[in-house]
Amino acid sequence: MSVQTLEISRSSASGILSSGNATGMRSLPTVSKYIDTSTCIGCKACEVACQEWNDLKSVATHNDGDYQTLKTLDVQFWNLIRFDEREVDGGLKWLMRKDQCMHCAEPGCLEACPAPGAIVQYANGIVDVNPEQCIGCGYCATGCPFDVPKFHASTGKMAKCTLCVDRVSVGLEPACIKACPTGCLHFGTKDDMIALGTHRVEQLKASGFPTAALYDPKGVGGTGVVTVLAFGDHPEWYGELPRDPHVPLGVRFWKNVVRPLGLIAIVGAVVGAFGHYFNFGKKEVQGAADSESNLPQA
Amino acid sequence: MSSVPIRDRAMDEAVIVGRDRENVVVGNEIIRHRLASRLIHWSVAVTFFGSLLSGLPMWTPVFGWMATLFGGLQVCRWLHAWAGIAFSAAALVMLVHWFSEMELRPDERSWIGPKLFTYMRYQTDDSEVGKYNGGQKIFFFTSVLGALGLLVSGVVLWFPLRFPHLVRELAIILHDVTFVLFAVSIVFHIYLATAAEPGTFGAMTRGTVTKAWARLHHPKWYKEVTGGK
Repeated sequence: MSVQTLEISRSSASGILSSGNATGMRSLPTVSKYIDTSTCIGCKACEVACQEWNDLKSVATHNDGDYQTLKTLDVQFWNLIRFDEREVDGGLKWLMRKDQCMHCAEPGCLEACPAPGAIVQYANGIVDVNPEQCIGCGYCATGCPFDVPKFHASTGKMAKCTLCVDRVSVGLEPACIKACPTGCLHFGTKDDMIALGTHRVEQLKASGFPTAALYDPKGVGGTGVVTVLAFGDHPEWYGELPRDPHVPLGVRFWKNVVRPLGLIAIVGAVVGAFGHYFNFGKKEVQGAADSESNLPQA
Repeated sequence: MSSVPIRDRAMDEAVIVGRDRENVVVGNEIIRHRLASRLIHWSVAVTFFGSLLSGLPMWTPVFGWMATLFGGLQVCRWLHAWAGIAFSAAALVMLVHWFSEMELRPDERSWIGPKLFTYMRYQTDDSEVGKYNGGQKIFFFTSVLGALGLLVSGVVLWFPLRFPHLVRELAIILHDVTFVLFAVSIVFHIYLATAAEPGTFGAMTRGTVTKAWARLHHPKWYKEVTGGK
């Protein structure tokens, strides 16, 4: 059930007006989750908090020789600390990044989804899934440049980080933010989190990390989750964070070009058939059914 | 089946003959399609429409109302895949069944092009048209190619996470474009078989056409079947 206290600004496959359940009445500040990878200690309190708050079932973990709980996000594991060991300037850097849905301003999942209202974006920027509408087709996974959507093995439904929309809508901060012991996670309006991030990036630059940057990719219109990276020129070092994420061209081309043209073509064919009949009539046997006149004239 | 005497007037002679023979004259009619051909054609048609109607609501919410025909969009997602498999199987059987009759003669190559429009204006010289005209033969092969394209892209869409991102994007587009071309050609296939050319629909239900119909649409076939008259 979509959270009724939050205005919907965009919903999937909701017709040419793309508004679906939006009323366009309320104006809410965009909320944002701030992650500072430079102060994350990989304690995983946020992983536990997310599991607890959302009543998610336990997922069997894998030991691949590092501290990472799972290889990727899971339909029942929406928040994963990615661990990457990287040799930088002859020294070892142990990079940790909190991976979850980025709550893009232009969500590729929502754009690709063919089920009306299965994926919605609230006016505050949170991107959420309505499992009642989800048909488990997987198009959202094709639309997402961060490889976030995962699907339940038997129901087929998609689930991901909700940015604790149920907590946010009653004025609480998300569970992961609340649990973090080092203060590397913050929550507030996008403007405030950008300000925090900019300040932190300046601090890092002054402390020997000249390439520090705030990861807020414009290719998806900016993300609800902003991440401070000490090595900002190498986002791919932090758990395969894409350098230039954007809604895939194929998805955009399909939705905005192929589909409308296809609809016009099919309707046009039906109209064309009627038009042909009105204009040319039938090709039929003339006169008596067995008359010789139906032999073509040589 | 052929143990019932053909002279028994209480039964429809043409239908009985049509159970296993075609291209033969029965009274004032010619058997055009025997039973096996008709069953194969309708299997393809039914599975095609099953796939189409379950796929359209997923394709665009404009046809979302069609989802109710099957009990909801989730059912459509499940049904569409299996209907597609059934359609592919039926199309394969159709390919094998008609392949030998669909060879495009050199003089029929001109059907790929403006001749299709000339035909729609009823201005072609049909005197050399055999059992199937050039347009029908081309439709046969484009249909088979279309079915193959839909199958290949359909499998990727069915199990998207097993394929790389680019393959998934291409599959969405290929599935879409192929289906649209198919849908457009089916509109004309049905139109020509019903309203535009009377006497044609019976060829695929009862299996028969009148001699006059054959003389008009497929004169060369008519001559071959009747031995000249």
